[in-house]
Amino acid sequence: MQIYLPIAELPVSILTILAMGAAVGFLSGMFGIGGGFLMTPLLIFLGIPPAVAVGTQATQIVASSVTGALAHFARKSIDFKMGTVLLAGGLLGSVTGIYIFKMLTAIGQIDLAISVVYVGFLSVIGGMMMVESVKAIRAARGGVAAKRLGGHHSWIHGLPFKMRFRRSKLYISVIPPILVGYFVGVLSAIMGVGGGFILIPAMIYLLRMPTNVVIGTSFFQIVFVAAATGILHSVENQAVDIVLGFLLVVGGVIGAQYGVRMAEKLPAEQLRALLAAILLFIGLRLGYDLVITPDDLYTVVETRGAR
Amino acid sequence: MREVAAFLSVLAMLALAGAARADVLVTDLSEHQVAIRSNFTGTQILLFGAVEARTPGSRAVNRDIIVVVQGPVRPVTVRKKERVGGLWINHDSVTYPNVPGYYAIASTRPLEVTTEPETLRSLRIGVENINPGTPSAYTIDGRTQILQPEAESAFWKALIRSQRREGLYLNLPGGVTFLGQTLFRATVDIPANVPVGLYTAKVYLLQNGEVIDTISSPLYIEKRGVERLIYRWAQSDPLLYGLIAVFIAAFAGWLASAVMGRR
Repeated sequence: MQIYLPIAELPVSILTILAMGAAVGFLSGMFGIGGGFLMTPLLIFLGIPPAVAVGTQATQIVASSVTGALAHFARKSIDFKMGTVLLAGGLLGSVTGIYIFKMLTAIGQIDLAISVVYVGFLSVIGGMMMVESVKAIRAARGGVAAKRLGGHHSWIHGLPFKMRFRRSKLYISVIPPILVGYFVGVLSAIMGVGGGFILIPAMIYLLRMPTNVVIGTSFFQIVFVAAATGILHSVENQAVDIVLGFLLVVGGVIGAQYGVRMAEKLPAEQLRALLAAILLFIGLRLGYDLVITPDDLYTVVETRGAR
Repeated sequence: MREVAAFLSVLAMLALAGAARADVLVTDLSEHQVAIRSNFTGTQILLFGAVEARTPGSRAVNRDIIVVVQGPVRPVTVRKKERVGGLWINHDSVTYPNVPGYYAIASTRPLEVTTEPETLRSLRIGVENINPGTPSAYTIDGRTQILQPEAESAFWKALIRSQRREGLYLNLPGGVTFLGQTLFRATVDIPANVPVGLYTAKVYLLQNGEVIDTISSPLYIEKRGVERLIYRWAQSDPLLYGLIAVFIAAFAGWLASAVMGRR
């Protein structure tokens, strides 16, 4: 059954979109990520214009991170103070990102920028996670407890404007979290992702937050950054397709339920290795497309606006 | 209103004056409005008509019909990728100000045997003879540049190739069929990704390769119902639209966790 999307201006199969939403929702529930980095390339592959894919994707991220944040709120595993600091940076970043997106669209380099940023981040973070989780799996087999993070003194502790984050048991400068938030906000607006896959490693390795509050806090900040991204894309580019968004959300919500259940059955290290493999695979796939000779060297776009 | 009536009567007189000399066309479309609703997956337009012979005893020999359906024009940019440091990136670009979003041409016989290339060119019949306005060429850093005609035509050919691939430029030799001596019909596919706006369906009647009559009728393709409502709303009040889109999503997320929590 087909439905015509009013903003994307093309018909899509309802079942395809629901299935895509469910598949990404499944992974999102399983790994505690928004899944935007999977959905945006899929939507663009279906022929949805990049601006509409990114703008609409933001609404799906809002839905899945609200579900995630509420679950973590019930478990009291959100550091609201840290979340708010990250958010302050994130909102600024989101505004910057929208303008970068507009500018890149105007000069015709948006596709390249999205691909390059994706390839870079997916392969670096996927690689890091893979190494780390393989070590953890080995350590667990060998019966050696994994090294606990935190407690290290680094350059971060020398920065001014220190603040106490009681929930995270940290006393650090607000500059690193604001920068991390800002950076993720920029990427969120350009790539149509929540940025969890960058935010979570940054919180663990850079800010040294305890792992039990990381996912909840990440969800908390992503809800608001993705909401801001969605609204800004709507105002600046009129690029949010409410019909497409609704279908993605419905599929995603259903898929996420099964993903969460699946995650309970798998050990954390293997889960992380699996996610790392997925990130690496998508990164390499997109990188391959940048390097091989395209079928048609010419691309054709309507000039006016992003649509 | 009076001006319109006067105009129409002048037209009628002209038509009668012309009628005394040669054959004339009478045509119509199966529909003058195509509504894009949520179930729109493309459609077909049927164009039908008749040649009214005004010269008694003349035979319908070497008579051809060409039908051109053209969509609204808008500026289009064609970009050429080049390999830079191992990566394929968009390099030079050419912007054409007036590119039809849709162009279908159907004829009784292939165009090459219908008439001379010069006639087609002067009447701008055929995809190759579209006038897209003065192109402006840019380098990768946005400076204007002058391209050699061959280089520029590669961009134009790429545009046509892309539009054909999308099903937006159609060439249908033999797409117009005569039913007997005077009646003819043509069906033209309108794909689902068609741009909205005002279209024109132009019909040319040719005798021995010379155009002896043309007629053109408008065709509106527009969004209707919910599609139109949503589109209009997103354009007129994007802030509220964005807020509501996000609110619906947040509500769905809350609903999911409420349902999950109960279990």
